[in-house]
Amino acid sequence: MTDVRTPQSPADTAPGGPAGESPTASAGWLRWAWRQLTSMRTALVLLFLLALGAIPGSLLPQQGTDPGSVDQYYVSHPDLAPWINRLGLFNVFAAPWFAAIYLLLFASLVGCVVPRTFRLVGSARTPPPRAPRNLARLPHSSSYSSALPPAAAVDNAAAVLGGQRFRLRRPAADEPGYWVSAEKGYLRECGNLLFHLSLLGVLLSIAAGGLFGYKADKLLVEGQTFANTVSALNEFHPGRLVSGDSLAPFTLTLNKFTASYVESGESAGQPSNFNANVTYAASSGATPRSYNIRINDPLAVDSLKVYLIGHGYAPEFKVTEANGTVAYEEATPFIPANTSSLLSDGVVKAPDASLGFEGVFVPTAIEVEGTLESIFPAANNPAVSLIGYSGNLGMNSGVSDQTVYQLDTNGLTEISGSPHLLSPGQSWKLPGDKGSIEFVGVKQWVSLAITYDPGQVPALVCGILALAGLLLSFFVRRRRVFVRAVPAASGTGSVVTVGGLTRSDASGGFEEEFADLAAQIAETEPDPGQPQEPIKPEPDHTPEPGSHSEPGA
Amino acid sequence: MFTVRTPLVFRARRRTVVTVTAVVAVLLAGALAVTLLTQGGSSTSDETVNGNTVVYAAGHQPLAPDFTATSLTGTPIKMSSYRGKVLVLNFWGSWCPPCRSEGPTLAVLSQQYGSKGVDFLGDDVSDTPENALAFTRSVGITYPSINDPGYVVVQDFSQATPVSETPTTVVIDAAGHVVGMVLGQTSYGEMTTLLRDAGVNK
Repeated sequence: MTDVRTPQSPADTAPGGPAGESPTASAGWLRWAWRQLTSMRTALVLLFLLALGAIPGSLLPQQGTDPGSVDQYYVSHPDLAPWINRLGLFNVFAAPWFAAIYLLLFASLVGCVVPRTFRLVGSARTPPPRAPRNLARLPHSSSYSSALPPAAAVDNAAAVLGGQRFRLRRPAADEPGYWVSAEKGYLRECGNLLFHLSLLGVLLSIAAGGLFGYKADKLLVEGQTFANTVSALNEFHPGRLVSGDSLAPFTLTLNKFTASYVESGESAGQPSNFNANVTYAASSGATPRSYNIRINDPLAVDSLKVYLIGHGYAPEFKVTEANGTVAYEEATPFIPANTSSLLSDGVVKAPDASLGFEGVFVPTAIEVEGTLESIFPAANNPAVSLIGYSGNLGMNSGVSDQTVYQLDTNGLTEISGSPHLLSPGQSWKLPGDKGSIEFVGVKQWVSLAITYDPGQVPALVCGILALAGLLLSFFVRRRRVFVRAVPAASGTGSVVTVGGLTRSDASGGFEEEFADLAAQIAETEPDPGQPQEPIKPEPDHTPEPGSHSEPGA
Repeated sequence: MFTVRTPLVFRARRRTVVTVTAVVAVLLAGALAVTLLTQGGSSTSDETVNGNTVVYAAGHQPLAPDFTATSLTGTPIKMSSYRGKVLVLNFWGSWCPPCRSEGPTLAVLSQQYGSKGVDFLGDDVSDTPENALAFTRSVGITYPSINDPGYVVVQDFSQATPVSETPTTVVIDAAGHVVGMVLGQTSYGEMTTLLRDAGVNK
C-alpha cells in the first residue's frame, strides 16, 4: 500500500495526552487505539498472523474436511488431541481466535483505506496552488524578456499550458500580480484512488465468497445422475448466508470414467490420464451438454466449478433370496485401501434378506501365497472376495452410527468359515438355503468436488484494477508549472519567469518536459527577445519545496 | 508518493471522517462477526419450527411443484393427479436407517388415512428399484414410490420448500399447498398433527 499519511502531530501519537483540545482520557485512549489498529504496521502484522494461523489448518486434520482423520488423531494421540481441540486447531477456520484475526484485519484495512480514499478525492480535486513569489528558487526555472505587457505574456503562457491539458489557476480579481499556476498528472491520484477502492472491492469479494459460497462433495457411479441439492450431496459446507434451497439447480450424469495407467516399465501402474465424461444441464429446463472433466480441468457451470478429485470401483452385486425374489441389486462403491493397486474394501447390505457381506475387490487379481492381491490398478482381471453374514443388520432401528461403507457384524452369524472368491458373472449359492449373491460386473465411481465462489470473478477484476491503479500512481508524475510576469525595468514589455517542480520524478523526464514547455512558452513571443539562459539552482540543494505549494503557508 | 498536504477544508472535516469511518468499520466488523458466528436456525414469521417439524402459516404455504415421474415399478406418476386430495409425500431410501425405521409407521398411517381421502406417495432417492421394493415388501408399504435415484424430484421440490434431509415427510393439502413437513425421522404423533393442520381428522 502506498503511504499518503500526513505527518501526525505529537498529540496524535501520544496516548491519552491530547494537547490543547482535551477530550476525556478514555476518548484519547480510544483514538490512540484506533490509530494503532488502522496503521499499516498493524495491518501487516495481522496479515502475517492470518497466514500463520492457517498453518495448523494444513498440518492437522480438519473437522470440516476430514472428520475421519480427526477421529484417527484422537486414537493415536489421546493426550494431545483434547488440547488441540480446546485451542480450536481441528477447525481452524471456524475458531474464535481465527475470526478475531480476520475481523481485526478487516477493521484495520477498512479504517486505513476509507479515510485515504476521502483524502485522495480531496487531493484530486484541489486546484493548483498560487504561483510562488520567487520562481527562480524552484528546482526548474527559466526566464525571458517579453515585448508584451505582463498580462498578455501570461495569457499566452496560459494558452500554451492549457493546450497541454494542464489544470490552470489564475489570480483572483482582488489578487495582485500576473501569474498562472498549472498542474498536470491528476491521473496519479485517480490511480491511487482506484487502487484503494479496488482493495476494498477485493475485501468485499472475499467476504461475499465466504458468506454466499459453498463447497460440496459427491460420489457418483457410472450411469448415475445427481441433482445439485443438499440431501444429494455427501458433504456440504455452505457459507454462512447460504440457504439450502439456493443451490444452482444443475443436474449431472456420469456417463463413463476412463483411467489410463502406464502399462509397463519402471512406472507401470502409475496413472497417466483420468477422464470423466459427463452430461449436465445448467437448470431443469436447459439443454443437456457433454463435457470431459479431467484433473485440473473442471467443469464450469456459471460461477460453479466441478472438480474430479477421486475415483474407485463399484462392483455390481445381486442378492437373491431362496424363494427367488431379488433383495438387492446395485453397483456398490468400494473404497480403495491401497491407492496404487486399487485393492478396495466395501460392504454389501441386503437388510431385507437379513444378509450382509464384507468384500475385498481387486482390479487385477493374483493369488500370492493364498491371499488375494492386485498387481495392476486397471480392471484387467477383476475379482471379489466375500465373507457372508446373516442376521438382523440393525438398520431398522433409526439412528445408526454405521455408514453405508460399514457393516456392524456384532450379533451376525458368519455364513462360512473362509472368504468366497467370485469373478464377474459368478454366483455364490449360500449354504443353509439362504439364497445367493452374484457378482454381476464392475463399474467405476468418481468423487466430485463442487465449489461455488461468487466472489472469485469480482476479486480477480478488483485485483487487476488495483494493479492498474498502482501502475498509474507509479508512472504518472504530478508536476506543476508556474509562470509569473513582471513589468520590465525599461518600462515596456515584461520579464517572464517560468518555474517547474515535481515531487515524484522517480522515472525521470520532467527536466526535458519542463525545458520543452519553457521553450514553447517563450516561442509565443511575437518578436522574440534574447531568451536568457535558464537560471538553475542545483536541484539537490533546493529547500523542500512543499512550503511553496501550501496556500497561506 | 506525492504527499499532498491536507487542504484546510479537509483538515477540519478529518476528525468527522475518522469518526464516521471508525463507526462504519466497527459496525461492518460487528455485522460480519454476528453472521459468521451464529449458525442458521432461522425461523421467520411465515413458518413455525418445532423440533424437526416445520408448519407454514395459512397464506404462506408454498405451492408444491407439478412434475411427472416414474414409479419404482415403471408406471407414470403425475403430481397434478393428486390435486383434490391431501397428500403425504415421503422422501426416503432403503439404505437410510431412519427411513427404514419410520417405514412401518407410514405403512400403518397409509392404511388408517386411506379411507379418509389421504393419499401417500414415496420418493425413493439414491437407490435401486430392487432394493427399494425389497423394503416396501418387507414392511408392508403398499403405496407407490417415485424412482428418483438422482434426487431430481427433490431438487424440483426444493424450489418450493427445502428438502434438506433424507428422510423428509411433506404434507400437501387438497389445493396443492405445503402445509408442513417433518425433517428427519417422523413419528405417528407428528404426522397426525400435520394431517389435522391439513384438515383431516383421524
